[in-house]
Amino acid sequence: MKATIAALTQLPGVWRGGELEHVIHPTIPTGHRVLDRELPGGGWPMGTLSEVLHDGVGIGEVGFLSGALARAAEGDRLLAWINAPHLPYAPAIAQAGIPLERCLVVRPANREDAMWAAEQALKSGACGAVLFWLGQMKDYAWLRRLQMAAEAGRAMAVCFRPTEAGSLSTPAHLRVVVSSEDGALEVRIPKRRGPPLATPIRLGSAAPAIAASTRTPVRVPLHVVAVS
Amino acid sequence: MLWVALELPALPLQIAERAGACPEALVIAEGTKQRPAVACANAAAKRAGIREGQAVAAAKALAGGLRVIERNPDAEREALESLAAWAGQFTPMAVVESQGIVLEVQACLRLFGGHAPLTSAIARGVRALGFHAALGIAPTPLAARVIARAEAQGLQVRACLDPADLRSRLEDLPLFLFDWPERALARLTDLGILRVKDILALPMEGIARRFGPEIVLALGRLMGTHADPRQPYAPPPRFRSRLELPAEAEGVEALLFPLRRLLAEFEGVARGRGAGAQRLLLTLEHGRKARTRMELDFASPEREPDFILSIAREKLGRLQLAAPTVAISLRADALLAYVPRTAAWLPGAQEQAIGRERLLERLAARLGRDRVFGIAIANDHRPERNWGRTPFKGEPPIPLAERPIWLLQRPQKLVTDSGEPMLQGALSLRAGPERIEAGWWDGLEVARDYYVATNPNGESYWVYREHRDPDSWYLHGVFA
Repeated sequence: MKATIAALTQLPGVWRGGELEHVIHPTIPTGHRVLDRELPGGGWPMGTLSEVLHDGVGIGEVGFLSGALARAAEGDRLLAWINAPHLPYAPAIAQAGIPLERCLVVRPANREDAMWAAEQALKSGACGAVLFWLGQMKDYAWLRRLQMAAEAGRAMAVCFRPTEAGSLSTPAHLRVVVSSEDGALEVRIPKRRGPPLATPIRLGSAAPAIAASTRTPVRVPLHVVAVS
Repeated sequence: MLWVALELPALPLQIAERAGACPEALVIAEGTKQRPAVACANAAAKRAGIREGQAVAAAKALAGGLRVIERNPDAEREALESLAAWAGQFTPMAVVESQGIVLEVQACLRLFGGHAPLTSAIARGVRALGFHAALGIAPTPLAARVIARAEAQGLQVRACLDPADLRSRLEDLPLFLFDWPERALARLTDLGILRVKDILALPMEGIARRFGPEIVLALGRLMGTHADPRQPYAPPPRFRSRLELPAEAEGVEALLFPLRRLLAEFEGVARGRGAGAQRLLLTLEHGRKARTRMELDFASPEREPDFILSIAREKLGRLQLAAPTVAISLRADALLAYVPRTAAWLPGAQEQAIGRERLLERLAARLGRDRVFGIAIANDHRPERNWGRTPFKGEPPIPLAERPIWLLQRPQKLVTDSGEPMLQGALSLRAGPERIEAGWWDGLEVARDYYVATNPNGESYWVYREHRDPDSWYLHGVFA
């Protein structure tokens, strides 16, 4: 009996409830050791949809991913910023070690276009990471489509949503809630391939993860508010 | 020589139904204004009992609501010419004939892997254009045409590849397949000469005397004993094609199918010239209402139907059409050199590059070019000015290897010891070579191999060696 169960757990996609999933999706380290330890596969998943829930902007909700983003852009793949609330600010992105020339900014006129653009970007296989902001979107079917597209394009797909979306079910394999506590970024993981994370983890400071390597003491915002 | 003939039976009807079969009865009328006759009838008309050669008045009595289209020889000629232009992708020798085209394919058999793959590619392509054609293969153009015609009549003739087989393939074919004068054909029938073998058995001088020398000449050309020079069709250096829809099309989805036909035609024409188009103009005609025009712009010349269709679909999806569409036309005024995407040695890299290009085109087509952009840093302290939107290129800046802090104003020649550079001791090369070879275009040519070198004291230098004089080393920088 025990042998059978052991054999079963060797199958991809099968894991014991108490453990983290064995890697089937490739992952990339986020640059935060505490966070990587809690993520199945030891890093942010590629080729699958993940969600970051946050309220308000400016708590470092994008910055904590910059290490992963820099790696996702390796191999000459694009980083697509779709329907971001503000314009990505070039100096900050460069400081975070993300190659600027691979950043593709897409500012669609409406949400329908944004979802379509995200799907196209994910499906194309040309993007290493696609970040998209869909606001109050509650359409499960569309998220499912994006999940399929992410699998097809083997891209890191991150959907930024407000925390109230936490009560909705999601096709994403990973759901992370970030909030600001005393200037540090607190991360809770209510959904992952494994048991939900019991205690929130704190990421020292919400500063860009690999800013240290760029020798820049000054912090720069990741987004600028569009002037025009 | 090997010729492939394409015979398009009932060509006027094919032109009328190219964008899709017409559900109601449709006939093509020809002959005098006073007494027009049915030249061809579509399937629905034939079901109603209409036959070719009937008076149009009689046909109208058989089918109420019969659509009658006047036969237009110019349109037929145009259709055949566009087919010949399309066939330019297979061979440069495409000749327009009555009711069909002939292609000389001997020279391109190897490229397409033999006659069977080639003919099936041609047949597939013709179907994608919306035509039905019978194919004939033979060593002479006339024999190929006759075989194609026999095929169109439902007679089975095997492909003939060897001139030695020509006689055995052709001898059982009836003589009415030839474009000979009616009178001559009638007299041959009266004499009991019905098949090719009958006429070949007769002395040629007698045939020439009785039926005219052109019949002897035609037989000589058929069997390959007389030369049959043909003038290939030279297509104009642009593309224009128009398709009438069988019924008024509401909305946009219904336009995609005929558009695909036009794009398939465009691809053939462009491929024949090794070209693509950077701008395509699509016009939708709405009868009396003003036309809708749509421009498709690409970053580089394109011709693949699937890709162009996906772009057009996005653009069409945004259109609000005021009236149903009755015809669509596609135009490319400039055919530019097309750069085929070269296959990469490593799998994946190519798909990724294509994927990137395609993604950008697709996003820009639907969202607009100003909504898809890249970002860059500018040299300015003011936050709103030290970044900028750039058209997205996705090209990394010139990658630089390790660079020294100090650069010498003028490179300094180093002492060498048996070819090895010296600077306060022997220099050991730590990194390199980095070849910099540029400036040949402005007269200040540089052709050097740079190295990072360290001397025994642990000092690092940036040194180079001239290509032209590999023994002379220069110091160009110091890693301070």
